[in-house]
Amino acid sequence: MAELMSPDSRRCTYFFLYDESKVRGEGDPTREGICYFYPEETPVDKQELLCGQLAGVVQCVSELSSSPVCSLRLHRNTFAIRMRDNFFWALGCSVEVPTISICELLDQLINLFCFYNGSVRQSYQLNSRESLAARWAQYLSHLRSGSSELQHIFSCLRTIDSAKVDPLLLLKAALILQTCQRCPPVLAGCILFRGRVVSTQMSPKLTMKVMVHESETYTKAQRPNGPSTSSSFGSTVSSTAVFLTMSELQYLQSVPVDKDFSSHSTPHNDASPKKTRLSRTLSDMAFTVSDSFDPNSSWPPQKVSFSSCLSESDNLMFSPVPSQTTIATPHPPPQRLKPPSSNGKRSDEAEEESHYYSFHSEGGGDSWIHSEGDGSVFEENSHISGDGGDGDAACDRVFRFRGVESGNEESHDAHMVVRDRVGSEGAQGHKPEQEPPPHSGAFDGPEESTLIPMTLYLHRVKGLVLALLVEPHFLSDTASTEEVYYSSLASLNGLEAHLRAIFPGAPDSPDFYIFAHFDCIQSTLTTNLSGRPRGAPEHPFVRATSLLHLHFCNTETLQEAIIRSASSAVYGTRSVAQETYFQVHGGSLRNSGIPYYQDSAFSLPTKARHKLLKHGVHLF
Amino acid sequence: MKCLLIASESAEVLFHWTDPAFLQNIQEKYEVTQEEGQRLPAFEDSISTLFAPMIISCTTLVDRLGDSYTSFTTENNHIYVLHQFEECLYIAVNGDGEEGEDDLRRKIYVMKKMIEVLFGMVTLSSNLLRKELRPQDTQQRARLWKHLQSLLETYSQLRENDQSFLVEAVERLIHPALCEQCIEFLERRLVQHLNSSAERAGEEVLHAFVLVHTKLLVFYSTRSASKLTTSDLLTLIILAQNMYPSNIDTDDPVPEDIENTSSSGPESFYTPEPSPTNRDSSSSADKPLRGSTPVFEFMDPDIQMAEDSLQTLEVPPPGPLTPRRVFLEVSSKDGLYPMMPHSMYCLPLWPGITLVLLTKIPTTAVAMSVYKFLEAFSTLEKRLREGQEGSAATRGPPNIQDVRSKLDKFIKVLGPSEVQSAQLQNVWTEFKNRAFARGGSGFNKNLIPWCKNMKTQLCGIYRQCFLIDSGPADIPRCLSPGLQERAQTMAQEKLMDWKDFLLVKSKRNITMVSYLEDFPGLIHFIRVDRSTGQMIAPSLCTTERGPASELGKGPVAQFIKSKVWSLVSTTRHFLRKGYSTVTLRDGDFYFCYFLWFESETGYKLEAGDIPVLPDDSAPIGMLAWDYYWKLLRYYSKNQQGEMVKCYELLTVHLGVIPTDIILQHCRQLASKLWEPSRNPLL
Repeated sequence: MAELMSPDSRRCTYFFLYDESKVRGEGDPTREGICYFYPEETPVDKQELLCGQLAGVVQCVSELSSSPVCSLRLHRNTFAIRMRDNFFWALGCSVEVPTISICELLDQLINLFCFYNGSVRQSYQLNSRESLAARWAQYLSHLRSGSSELQHIFSCLRTIDSAKVDPLLLLKAALILQTCQRCPPVLAGCILFRGRVVSTQMSPKLTMKVMVHESETYTKAQRPNGPSTSSSFGSTVSSTAVFLTMSELQYLQSVPVDKDFSSHSTPHNDASPKKTRLSRTLSDMAFTVSDSFDPNSSWPPQKVSFSSCLSESDNLMFSPVPSQTTIATPHPPPQRLKPPSSNGKRSDEAEEESHYYSFHSEGGGDSWIHSEGDGSVFEENSHISGDGGDGDAACDRVFRFRGVESGNEESHDAHMVVRDRVGSEGAQGHKPEQEPPPHSGAFDGPEESTLIPMTLYLHRVKGLVLALLVEPHFLSDTASTEEVYYSSLASLNGLEAHLRAIFPGAPDSPDFYIFAHFDCIQSTLTTNLSGRPRGAPEHPFVRATSLLHLHFCNTETLQEAIIRSASSAVYGTRSVAQETYFQVHGGSLRNSGIPYYQDSAFSLPTKARHKLLKHGVHLF
Repeated sequence: MKCLLIASESAEVLFHWTDPAFLQNIQEKYEVTQEEGQRLPAFEDSISTLFAPMIISCTTLVDRLGDSYTSFTTENNHIYVLHQFEECLYIAVNGDGEEGEDDLRRKIYVMKKMIEVLFGMVTLSSNLLRKELRPQDTQQRARLWKHLQSLLETYSQLRENDQSFLVEAVERLIHPALCEQCIEFLERRLVQHLNSSAERAGEEVLHAFVLVHTKLLVFYSTRSASKLTTSDLLTLIILAQNMYPSNIDTDDPVPEDIENTSSSGPESFYTPEPSPTNRDSSSSADKPLRGSTPVFEFMDPDIQMAEDSLQTLEVPPPGPLTPRRVFLEVSSKDGLYPMMPHSMYCLPLWPGITLVLLTKIPTTAVAMSVYKFLEAFSTLEKRLREGQEGSAATRGPPNIQDVRSKLDKFIKVLGPSEVQSAQLQNVWTEFKNRAFARGGSGFNKNLIPWCKNMKTQLCGIYRQCFLIDSGPADIPRCLSPGLQERAQTMAQEKLMDWKDFLLVKSKRNITMVSYLEDFPGLIHFIRVDRSTGQMIAPSLCTTERGPASELGKGPVAQFIKSKVWSLVSTTRHFLRKGYSTVTLRDGDFYFCYFLWFESETGYKLEAGDIPVLPDDSAPIGMLAWDYYWKLLRYYSKNQQGEMVKCYELLTVHLGVIPTDIILQHCRQLASKLWEPSRNPLL
């Protein structure tokens, strides 16, 4: 697929890791402390100059302010700085890149390293500098390349273009993940296709980390990185050791998964019945979905939030599934489509009912995710942050909403429900003003020190990869590995065939406008800009978007903005869950700059509201 | 927690200003390391030691990388902004969240502007400026630094509280009839009287204006005067405000201050301002209420005139009625001359009302010559640096032979009596030997140090002529005290009946009430004419004791004020990136910002491209660096010979007002701004 590829779109100029503990005495040469320096061809004396000066000046400022420096700017470069455990990281980009995103990038980089290698200090004790340098280089190049400028602005997940994919395939992917999750050692998983997310059960940040390994195995020849699984599955399955932070793990573990159901069913089913079961499930599901949909509301194809939306929908729509399958576990989803009054639900489900009721009253397919979800999360979030803001509290709350019976839900799903419930209230009432930042970001700050070893299991079917985070003992548990492998194999093959047939899609029909819609909760981006050559007309849009995004980040109360230069006018609007940017191009924007109510720039909000409907973006 | 530091490349502190919180922060660092019983090191030493690694690292990076630090941010949100002007490194720090990076950069540029106005072309020689900013004599140094510190504080006060210093344009009092009368008074009576007097000692009044607090009642320039730039005028207002601080809260002098001053006999000078430490401790406590404004100290005007620290650099505190030497831009037929010497007379009429006279001093021609020579040597140096040699480097303009003969003449006129001119002559002779003589090296890279040396010598001459009181003391060098008193009395007589009206008017120049009927939902607006550097805005009075604006007092008014302040900084950020129209829906408010160009006849011109500037470029405004003048020049390139005017409008509306109504309001406010009495406002 054509992509806005620019190898140095981040314009990253320097990155280095400097170990200050190696340079203590007067006579210690600075080079002793340099663990990694990018670009690697930089002359050593320049490396020493930068490391020495930056580390020194940062020390000076940190002492003056009694607080570590987090960023510094030169005339030509901006550096994000991190200091931990005597290590000193600096990531330098050109000054056009907002400082905020450089800091974010550096955190990502460090977190990536910790995810695959564990603690930095320990890694440097156990491994040679050279081998770890290769790792840094790999992570850096992964973060630097392969995404469009817009994706960099929002540091969003690269997802498949859901506009071109049959929604049923997304359902299928979500179901594969759920099936795998029933195996106890499996924590969560995601499905990736050619370096893009098809469906994920993990937080955006964790998904991003998993994708590095996937892209590595995708581009290179398969190279098992850790203890490989038994050869019985051939080279399509690999695994590698990874490290989760405490909060990441708590977040994953606290998600209610119906393990009982799974372990109960496992002994009775060998691989092949499961396979058939799964495929039958999927075909059944297809009918159900089309039946249960309001015929008037087409599934908006451009929605970004497919994964969580799907897992939600899968609860909603799969009602016949359990009853038709051999496993007759009592399963709540069937009742959910029915009016709340028609079934005897327990009283603690009342809140859910109201949610589903509002879903139906909205009647707009998945639109609720955007329309209601946005002005709303904050209310819920404020509860959560009141509880301490950690994953535990968040999930406890979620759990209370869902009730015990909603066993095999994954975390996103649960979150979406919470959001939605509040959202439906918010939509009827007024929009709350204060909006704390989405909590999902708080989970893996670079400060997390305790790292828990886990295993990343990868099952590749050509371009398609099933990546699962599993407990380390999973690999030695033959029953589990086989169960996961065989239960998903056929579905993966099928999914791969379908996705392959779609890619590469037909080029977009040219619109007379550009938009970008960012879902802050799931960290996904919808835009009609991708697939086009990175031409001149788009660039002002990207520039304006970057600028507006920065202002939205800095000013909590800012909701809408229109900015106009001599050649372009861009409209930006945001709620707590989403940011949308819109520009009409072409046409004469000639104006005197003096306020004039018939000015085309001021009709942008109305135009955006109308035009973006067909992309599944609902603006108020 | 604020600090501003100027350091030389060798980490020598040339100036520092800190607020009490920062001071305490520094001292705590030393208390930890000091052993029991040991005294704390002098503050200047502590600050110098703590900042030294940063300053030295800056120098190292410039030398080896050709790049340098522009800012640091720490996790607890302390911001450090650094900027190097020639060999002086300015560092501004904020640790209390009240100032952003832009504000700090602006402060640095304003500080530099004030130093330029006070020291003129001496600032062009880092070597001389270093000596000037850090006099050997510690008492002198303390006096100078205290003066600069109080100027900086006055500026910060104004920037935080005065809308005209927020947008950096001059606000006039709207009273056309009185203004007209005053112009007539200044032209026909006052200035004529002064300029025809024999007691003026060769000085000539060029500009005269009356300030009511920070607002301009009347401004008059003689025919021979060149236009006073907005940048200079704003700086002069800061100087005047610093001399006679107007207390926003009260008009009446606080009793204890009168007691303080009553003890001072005829010999005593301006009551010394509290030391920075004491002063700051009060300012931090009363910060939100502006309580830190120095209390107005009203006393005999003659005695007040004594406060002049510039002149105290070299000589003991001068007598009363000594003018302040200021260096202002002059545009004449043959070009632009920056930093030409003037004398500034600030004559207080009543508390809050000041008459300012700017005079041309008799030796202005020397300053012009020095500037031309400096320019010639800079051009030559630049060409030699670029590798041009021989005739390529000397090809005009300026013609090097021309410069040679003029400089010969100039030195002859100066006469060798002074040490400084003798030195200049020596260096010039050496330069000529190398450049022109047959045995000399001619015009090549070897001449570069000699170009520099010549520039330093010329700056030295300039310093001697305009910064140091030289010559026999009995020859009068300024308007005589009697003449100044006469001017003061004349102005007082003229404005006596208007005094109270003016003091009230200055606080409620125009009020939102008059606009509410025509513009329902409008909360506030600021309109600026950037071509003339003037602004108009309804008063925003947020202090407890001052007169209330329509917004009332206390938190609401304070909130609106903070929104207006942040809107200005946001729109500047967008303007820097090339966006001349910005609308923002922020909370319950809807903000608009428009910048547009008109021809002189009022015809709307098409919006042009606005240059995109890096984040660390000079601040957008007119005080320290005239962004709009540059913008107008840039825009006018495409307008054949037509005079272009540039306007800005900011509005704050209630968010519930429909956008098209808001835009109609903006349109009306933009097309013509009238006072309800039909007086045009701008």
